[in-house]
Amino acid sequence: MKTENHLSRLDESKLYDELSRSNLPATKRWYAGTGALLLVVLAAVATFVYMMLTGLGVTGLNRPVMWGVMIILFVFWVGLSHSGTLISAILRITRATWRAPVLRGAEAMTALALMVGGLYPLMHLGRNWRFYYILPYPSERQLWPNFRSPLLWDAVAITTYLTGSLLFLYFGMIPDLAIARDRAAGWRRKLYTFLAAGFRGTHAEWRRYHVASTLFAVIIIPVAVSVHSIVSWDFAMAMVPMWHSTIFAPYFVAGAIYSGIAGVIAVMVILRKAFRLERVLTPDHFDNLGKLLLTFTLVWGYFYFSDYLTAWYSRFPEDWEVIRSYSGHYLPLFSLLVACNFLIPFPLLCLKRVRQSIPAMFAVSLVVNVGMFTERVQIVVPSLARRNDPSIWGSYFPTWVEISFIVGSIAMFALIYVIFSKLFPVVAISDVKEQLFHTTDRTIGGANFSTVVSGEGKEEGRET
Amino acid sequence: MRTGEPRVVIGLFDGVEKAAHAAHALRSLPLPEENVTTISSVPLPDGAVTRDRRPIRFPWIVVVFWLAGALGGLALTLVTYQVYPMITAGKPINTVPPAIIVSFEGGMFAALIATLVLGFRSIGLGPFRSGRKVFDRRIHEGRIALCARVDTGDQERLAIEAMTASGGEAVRAEEGEL
Repeated sequence: MKTENHLSRLDESKLYDELSRSNLPATKRWYAGTGALLLVVLAAVATFVYMMLTGLGVTGLNRPVMWGVMIILFVFWVGLSHSGTLISAILRITRATWRAPVLRGAEAMTALALMVGGLYPLMHLGRNWRFYYILPYPSERQLWPNFRSPLLWDAVAITTYLTGSLLFLYFGMIPDLAIARDRAAGWRRKLYTFLAAGFRGTHAEWRRYHVASTLFAVIIIPVAVSVHSIVSWDFAMAMVPMWHSTIFAPYFVAGAIYSGIAGVIAVMVILRKAFRLERVLTPDHFDNLGKLLLTFTLVWGYFYFSDYLTAWYSRFPEDWEVIRSYSGHYLPLFSLLVACNFLIPFPLLCLKRVRQSIPAMFAVSLVVNVGMFTERVQIVVPSLARRNDPSIWGSYFPTWVEISFIVGSIAMFALIYVIFSKLFPVVAISDVKEQLFHTTDRTIGGANFSTVVSGEGKEEGRET
Repeated sequence: MRTGEPRVVIGLFDGVEKAAHAAHALRSLPLPEENVTTISSVPLPDGAVTRDRRPIRFPWIVVVFWLAGALGGLALTLVTYQVYPMITAGKPINTVPPAIIVSFEGGMFAALIATLVLGFRSIGLGPFRSGRKVFDRRIHEGRIALCARVDTGDQERLAIEAMTASGGEAVRAEEGEL
């Protein structure tokens, strides 16, 4: 039986033009927007230099709350970076048929969010010019790093994950860079020629490319899980109430994937609008992402409840005082967290109408990320403010310096993403084409269906 | 040019069916399977037009690199504890959890780098490749290029005829590699 695939109905040149709109020459609006983002980033950098020159006293950090916005931002951005590569890797391995338009934007989000998040532990060091102390080299101080410090585990894990995410992103782009190479001119052509590394698309090349891509996906998943586990151990290794918990690693990973999926949805909505990708990113894609988000709403809710169940039941005084503060001093924070992470998204995401509505999904994804940022605040601040000794209880509120870091981090992520999307296709063109090539129409009775071919063909002459 | 020198015959096809028909005709010339391949903008299933029977072994080498990276991480932590002992309760100790973490990440880091390098080698990529490989940009317009390595002379002529008869366009013979 011969059927016509969806790709054969399309003009591939027009399809490429449609999917690579982000690479069109920059307009005045683009320069204005990028310039505004750059100004915000430069203001945050200036604030950081001011903090470095005057010391950490310009922040709201104090005894006992010695971790503040910088650590909160670190955990938040590393969490946000989680889902991109993880979703992409899982969807590649499971061969989800709807994955193609989502992959590139998600993978880029991972690498770029990690670049932003990785800055904050270094900014938090205090003596920032001594950052190289965490590198394992025999020094004149006759001391190598203390491998028992979670700070060093962070350095090792984040370096691995950032490297892996960048390689995964680059490797996934090679076929698209080859298309861009054959259509671009000037400096872009030189850049794409170098990056495409001579990829042509022979049968043997495609076959080996798929094996390598799958291998990357298989390797990157445990790395992603390990990174946020290690971030959680920054907390769990400390003898601080409500931190010293064995559930922290899976709880952090679940939270990271939750915020990451929300981040992917928000980025996809913006890309869809900015580059007119309505034909490629359909409500069905958001429906599927919404189902994933709903799943992780429940997973996160389960872990969150489990984390407090044991403390609630055992009633250790130091843990109980922290929990009591949620109904007192930190009630607004706690209420916002529970509302944004569970009470609002859970019922909304159960409705298909909401999942298929692009504005509604954008709103839900923003609500979830507000909730997840609040959750990071709630993990860091109350536990430190209500330490074991009531005589040193305190409170924390960020200063203008730390507020500028929050705004600067968002601007920096947006700036890098905007530049990335100007240089490279933000949609995995080859994956979209492959999906269309594998999709055919089939009629059953009076109904028409799109069917997707999967798996390898059988050898001619062999019995099936 | 001497008769018998290898050349590549390349032809463009509108769809998989025509390309598969031409590939079948080339095999019955006979041309060895490994001398015939396609160039396409989407991966074609193995056997749709041509087959690639060469085994792909580099994932096993990646496993070896993963092991080497893990052992490197383990050595780094253990050697550090030996060279710069941290006296705890009056004794220098080797702490297991950090050693596991550093070993795991070291192994994964090595595996990721190895996947890129070995993947590139296996595919035959690299910006500094020598030799000219045949290519046709029209694959980005949805065409499938069928390429066959042939000897000059009769084999080249027969291959061109077979491709043209199967509906191939812009069929020509070129100097170059598959």
